Amino acid sequence: MKSPIFGEFSKLRGDSHMLGAMQRLETPMFRYGENDEVDYLIIGVGAGGGVLIQRLARAGFRVLGLEAGPFWDTERDWVSDEAGSHRLYWEDLRITGGENPLTLGSNNSGKGVGGSTVHWAAFTPRFHPSDFRVYSQDGVGVDWPLSYEELKPYYELMELELPVSGPAYFPWGDPHGYAFGPHPVGGIGNVLIRGCTRLGLRVSAGGPVGILQGSRADRPHCIYRGFCIQGCKVGAKASTLITHVPDAITHGAEVRSHCMVSRVHLGNNRRVTGVTYFDRDGREHFQKAKAVVLCSYAIETPRLLLNSACPDFKRGLANSSGTVGRYLMAQAGNVILGYFDELIRMYKAPPAGALTEEFYETDPRRGFARGFAIQTVGPLPIAFAKQMMSAQGAWGWGLRRIMMDYNHWAALGLLGEILPHPANRVEVAEETDQFGIPVAKVTFSLHDNDKKLIEFGKNKVMEVMSAAGANKVVQEARYAHLVGAARMGEDPATSVVDKYGRTHDIANLFICDGSILPTQGSANPGLTIQALAARAADYLISQGESVFISDKRNMERPPVRRNLSPSATWGHGAPRLK
Amino acid sequence: MCGEDGGNGRPYEPGSRKPIGPLSQPGYYAAFRTLDQQRFWDAKTREVILDRVQNAPPIRFFTPDEGKLLETICAHIIPQDDRDGAHKIPIVPWIDTRLYKDVHDGYRFADMPPDREAFRLGLRAIEEIADQLHQRAFICLDPIQQDGILKSLHDGKPQAGYKVWERMPVHRFWTMLVQDCIEAYYAHPWAWDEIGFGGPAYPRAYMRLDNGLPEPWESNERRYEWKAPDTSVSDLYEPKPSPIEHSAPHRKRGSA
Repeated sequence: MKSPIFGEFSKLRGDSHMLGAMQRLETPMFRYGENDEVDYLIIGVGAGGGVLIQRLARAGFRVLGLEAGPFWDTERDWVSDEAGSHRLYWEDLRITGGENPLTLGSNNSGKGVGGSTVHWAAFTPRFHPSDFRVYSQDGVGVDWPLSYEELKPYYELMELELPVSGPAYFPWGDPHGYAFGPHPVGGIGNVLIRGCTRLGLRVSAGGPVGILQGSRADRPHCIYRGFCIQGCKVGAKASTLITHVPDAITHGAEVRSHCMVSRVHLGNNRRVTGVTYFDRDGREHFQKAKAVVLCSYAIETPRLLLNSACPDFKRGLANSSGTVGRYLMAQAGNVILGYFDELIRMYKAPPAGALTEEFYETDPRRGFARGFAIQTVGPLPIAFAKQMMSAQGAWGWGLRRIMMDYNHWAALGLLGEILPHPANRVEVAEETDQFGIPVAKVTFSLHDNDKKLIEFGKNKVMEVMSAAGANKVVQEARYAHLVGAARMGEDPATSVVDKYGRTHDIANLFICDGSILPTQGSANPGLTIQALAARAADYLISQGESVFISDKRNMERPPVRRNLSPSATWGHGAPRLK
Repeated sequence: MCGEDGGNGRPYEPGSRKPIGPLSQPGYYAAFRTLDQQRFWDAKTREVILDRVQNAPPIRFFTPDEGKLLETICAHIIPQDDRDGAHKIPIVPWIDTRLYKDVHDGYRFADMPPDREAFRLGLRAIEEIADQLHQRAFICLDPIQQDGILKSLHDGKPQAGYKVWERMPVHRFWTMLVQDCIEAYYAHPWAWDEIGFGGPAYPRAYMRLDNGLPEPWESNERRYEWKAPDTSVSDLYEPKPSPIEHSAPHRKRGSA
């Protein structure tokens, strides 16, 4: 057995809390006392909560984030191993049903500081301008209460803060370029580029993806090891755990881990007063706050609102419209697998290698509204074997045989827009979790436009795979991402929050996560959730103390604050080896 | 005793009909051992993977009879007759541990009972099918009969155990069972060696991203032809029947 000549790699020194191979959590974290009242109490420190807490802390608010999962130490907790990474996912019980039940857990739900950004592939395309006016343009879904132009400055900020690597010219939607260059392309990226090129389709190679292509501050660049969705030990892939949370802590925020919130409390005057949560030992606590922001994503946010029903809100907190839990969306995420005579070795390089959005917009000739993207997928052996079981019915010797050909297969993903529907929803079940809190029951079914879109899209990806030279092409039906279930809108009768995430019903209760999205486009939602969080922060900062004392709603657009980015954003040179 | 002759038949070379193995490492990457690279892995990854290799957990959830039955079933779902005795990859202990700790993937289908109950029901139904068709215990059947019963679950057409299948859709049980076997087998470094997966690469990195090139420490593929034993029906790929989510080969491959 060979050994590294200068000794084995170890970054575990003393008690330092590692966030990637080189970044440490350096500042001691401020801790609020048991009876302290905070300004903003943030429930869930993931994509939305991570960005929001960072900005509010920088602006000088007293902020506390309660996170249901652990505060990861990437060196001690994470492994380069599929089976060993289960703890990254939300594995508490949920019930899933409907005609097309969604798989949850590792498919789309994170637990722990950083939330799902810890295990996302980090594809970070923007939504298209058309996504914000789907109803006006195509007569389906619903329009957003804000335009692309309003969100654009925050896309630009987030692309620098993560940062996003991508091509100099990205031709779709609102054409733009990326400040950080694209990644070298691995085997699956090559397959998509070849297939698209042969069919005359434009393709974006090496991004847009929230993975460092060059080192920055304390974060090294990508080492192409391929375990992106098992948590990036390198610290190259962006997650709010390493991009925004350290800066939040430096600016006085507390992030309290292993805190499972069971209820948001309503006080007098229809204002919330705080939350009840269980700590890791199962002890119950009450945390006081002047305002509460739910950032618990598309299942836990509605679950918490429904479980917080009280005499004033019998159907669930902030649910006078009856829309809490409704209009849940996932994207069509069919995986198309192709066998090649040559070796591909798709485990190398990030799974997020290349994409095309040529079919993103509505084309009336196709007979359905909206569209889809095609992206690379790089399943590791366990995920691939499960896909082969599903796509080919492989088991027994057939499974062993197909797995021996693992290195000959490439996987591409459909990412298709599924329209919002009121029957696709989150409810609470009678069954309870380990804390005695009723669990979420998720119901999901495809509707006519969705089915037509998936049929067309799936065949198009298969055509691209064949054009790339695959000898055999199979596919597995599945769904990716989760958004909706507490949507934003102008009309309090048909939506839960306004365009800044404030609930229509309660002036000091906000939602800042994927659940507020009215529609979802065919772009991965992570960047948009973070951009919306940065915008919500600008709004809250503009409101100053008024959120804490008044029910008045100021709907004026806040100025874009460019001085709130984490310290590494504006040029910090090379990483320091310490 | 039934189920203890230890073999369902070995795969063989198509021309000579010579059985393959038993080998310490089947697959097309004979010289490749991921474990040889362990000193280049980070400490936590090494700890987790070595623990998996060295310490298969004890059986705590299943009864001895259930354990033996599941052992026989798993030997068909992921057959290992081409592996020598010292290099068989444990599967049942990991399924048992998952159920013992009552952990799952974060969801349960609305039409399914909890996983623990589902496994017990499924095993019972498999016994009922064996009894109905052959009037013998499943573990006492010939390998081809055992494969046939499992194929009927795969096809969604079990020939008995209807009471169980009323409480639990057969395709959901089958999917869970095969997925659990996959989670155990392909989590093992020996399975990575078999399929040529490079395994952990932090902090060293992968350097050769293009054209399927191996890293200097990986191996090139050396393929051999093999056929599954005649006592097996599982070396076929058949899409599972499903109302709207059908999957079909788009273009036929020239040769298998």
